[in-house]
Amino acid sequence: MAETILKLEQVTKVYPNGTVANRDINMEFEKGEIHSIVGENGAGKSTLMKMIFGIEAPSSGTITYKGQETHFSSSMDAIKAGIGMVHQHFMLIPSFSIVDNIILGDEPKKGIFINKKEATKKTQELSDKYGFELDVTALVSTLSVAKRQKVEILKTLYRDAELIILDEPTSVLTPQETEQLFVQLRSFKEQGHTILFISHKLEEVKKISDRISVIRNGISKGTYRNDELTMEQLTSLIIGRDLDNDMDKYKTHENFENKKALVVDDLYMEMNGKPVLNHVSFAVKKGEILGVAGVEGNGQGDLVNCITGLEKTKYTGTITINGTEASSLSIKQRRDLKMAYIPEDRMGDGTAGKLPITDNIISTYYEREDINHKLFMNHPAIDLVSDNLIRTFAVKTDSNKTTVGSLSGGNIQKVVVAREYNTKPEFMIAEQPTHGIDIGSAEFVHHKLIELRNAGAGILLVSADLNEVIDLADRLIVMFDGEIAGYFPDANHIDESSLGMYMLGAKKQTAEEIGGALND
Amino acid sequence: MLSSIFSSLFTMNFLLTAIRLATPILFASIAAFITASAGIVNIAVESIMTFGALAGILGSYATGSAWLGLMIGLVVGVGVALLIAFFSMKLGADPILIGIALNTFADSLAIFFLYLVTGEKGTSASLHTPTLSKVTIPFIEKIPFFGKILSGQYVLTYVCWILLIILFIMLYKTPLGMRLRACGLNSDAAKTAGINVRRIQIFSLILSGFFAALGGMYLSLNSIHLFSKGMVSGQGWMGIAANGISGGRYGTLLLSAFIFAVFRAFSIIFSQSTIFPVDLVGAVPYFAVFFFVTISSILNYLRIKRGNVEEK
Repeated sequence: MAETILKLEQVTKVYPNGTVANRDINMEFEKGEIHSIVGENGAGKSTLMKMIFGIEAPSSGTITYKGQETHFSSSMDAIKAGIGMVHQHFMLIPSFSIVDNIILGDEPKKGIFINKKEATKKTQELSDKYGFELDVTALVSTLSVAKRQKVEILKTLYRDAELIILDEPTSVLTPQETEQLFVQLRSFKEQGHTILFISHKLEEVKKISDRISVIRNGISKGTYRNDELTMEQLTSLIIGRDLDNDMDKYKTHENFENKKALVVDDLYMEMNGKPVLNHVSFAVKKGEILGVAGVEGNGQGDLVNCITGLEKTKYTGTITINGTEASSLSIKQRRDLKMAYIPEDRMGDGTAGKLPITDNIISTYYEREDINHKLFMNHPAIDLVSDNLIRTFAVKTDSNKTTVGSLSGGNIQKVVVAREYNTKPEFMIAEQPTHGIDIGSAEFVHHKLIELRNAGAGILLVSADLNEVIDLADRLIVMFDGEIAGYFPDANHIDESSLGMYMLGAKKQTAEEIGGALND
Repeated sequence: MLSSIFSSLFTMNFLLTAIRLATPILFASIAAFITASAGIVNIAVESIMTFGALAGILGSYATGSAWLGLMIGLVVGVGVALLIAFFSMKLGADPILIGIALNTFADSLAIFFLYLVTGEKGTSASLHTPTLSKVTIPFIEKIPFFGKILSGQYVLTYVCWILLIILFIMLYKTPLGMRLRACGLNSDAAKTAGINVRRIQIFSLILSGFFAALGGMYLSLNSIHLFSKGMVSGQGWMGIAANGISGGRYGTLLLSAFIFAVFRAFSIIFSQSTIFPVDLVGAVPYFAVFFFVTISSILNYLRIKRGNVEEK
């Protein structure tokens, strides 16, 4: 039995407003292991980490680090004790050099000045020692995301961290970069560091962990050796039941006479002299989901902006929504053509965080006669609409006056989906509809999309999550570098790895094959 | 007539006037810059200058020593800054609103105190107040051209120059300065690096009050030798504008402040002639501020539009 470095006993966190984030958590972490903590969004992982790192104090229970009970009053204490944390949102200053970012808060000195020479030497040695291949004098603003993450890790190593907490480290990385990160994590482990890995990507957790602890609803559901746990067991531990992945059986196949909800014809747009949409043509039929797959930033965002009307820059080509040429229409006019939109950025574009659910849930159809009496709003009717939607969409909230910003990510997304669903759209754009929300809510959103599809709406589903696109879509296009690189008329029979080739630009179909996206 | 004015623009005297007028704006600009660098806004620079200017004169009158008056002015300036810190950080008020409140009543409060002491509402001219003088540096004054610039300036101008250098070294060469800038650029990053952000911001406010008070006292104790109603006349705001234009760059800050001083010098020279209405000429420096702030905003907008967004 290896030495225990960190031990949590009966740790409970109750926030002043009464929310119980963690209850009676018991966990032990061994020196030199890679220990994953998994759980849905809002399960209490982050709160637990904040308590270990000294940002929050537990309401009751004890945290023992290296055999001593700790009461960190700030993260400074945790850092001094040898705990480092790589936050999900990087804590870096882009206009500072790598060296300055690393030494910040613990600067080597010469008299009253910063000893730049020694700082540079020390950090460069550290970077070389761990094989990070960084030029430490470079500005952080010039670095890729993966390299910035390395800087974050270096920061913890510079402060001699023995226990390193990584909060969702792979969410910003490509598969190759993730692979590289894992190699490094394993080498840290060999050098005696303990890694606490937080993630909701289960494949990665299975790949990297020695042991896995599961949290559900703030309660620990046990710690398991990785090799004694199958993926299915892990999933059911996390969500408390078996997940239903097969969406196909919910689809009905009525005949909508091949009517088109959306036709995009020869769309072309330039930005900074470079084409970001290069003669894109496709159609979404009524009663189908057309999936758009692709690595983020290959024109999907611009495509969505053109269709919704958010993009004001000149583009050429036509966009026809439910039979009406719409490329010169305003957003409002397009919505009047029974278009609905679930935006990717639910906080920025999807909702107004400081306003209550009632306001957010009617914001795209507040002019409807039943809720708008010309001069004043009809508040009883709004309450009725909101309460109905809150119930049918199972939004977890005390009242319809709760501000949207204080809901969890999954519930915010449910508010957005409920609103868009309630406009009874005939054409819907769903952009990353389940990005970053918990599995339960994601499943719910998927079912609602299928429901709309079965009722005859055409849905354009843009997502970077391959599984989501493959599970939901009837037909599929792959975008690469502003073009459609591949078209798959039957999304149910796609080989994921060959899809990957199209996503990375290694393969491209002929114009004739791609033409099917428009003409099928 | 006009040609004689223009010819006077390119003389030593014009340069000296600009340098003389630059001191208070430079003080105001670093007062705004230091808090902005630490991530808080201090728009009360103008009012702290007014309070400092009055406190310096009254202190000098009460103690019979200009230097003790200077100390009293500094205490008042720092005190007002601490008041801002208390209201914004302890009581959670919006620092912009606090600044507006201070700026709104600064002039009236100053006149109230002036009236209490002198019985007059316009100036402190009736008081006998020792003031600070100019400094002549032997040998250096003999150097052609530079001698006139480097020697014979007001005491607080030298203080200003020295502080500009010290501030630069502090901000860019010491751990404290690095932490201070970190607080302004990404306070979360600073916090997770174990920096006490709040303490650093209070420190920056104290420095800001110190600099602004010096700027005010340069006007009252050093160059004009009395306090008069409305004497700060927007120079604190010019400092804030210079900070806005600087975008966090120290060199740009000082250059902007100096350019504003050059326009003040213009307006003084033009007001000696009768060609243009005096009021119009007096407005020239403020037009200049408006112009440069607009230009810098447009340049910024174009940069963003071109996609060259600088990450801070």
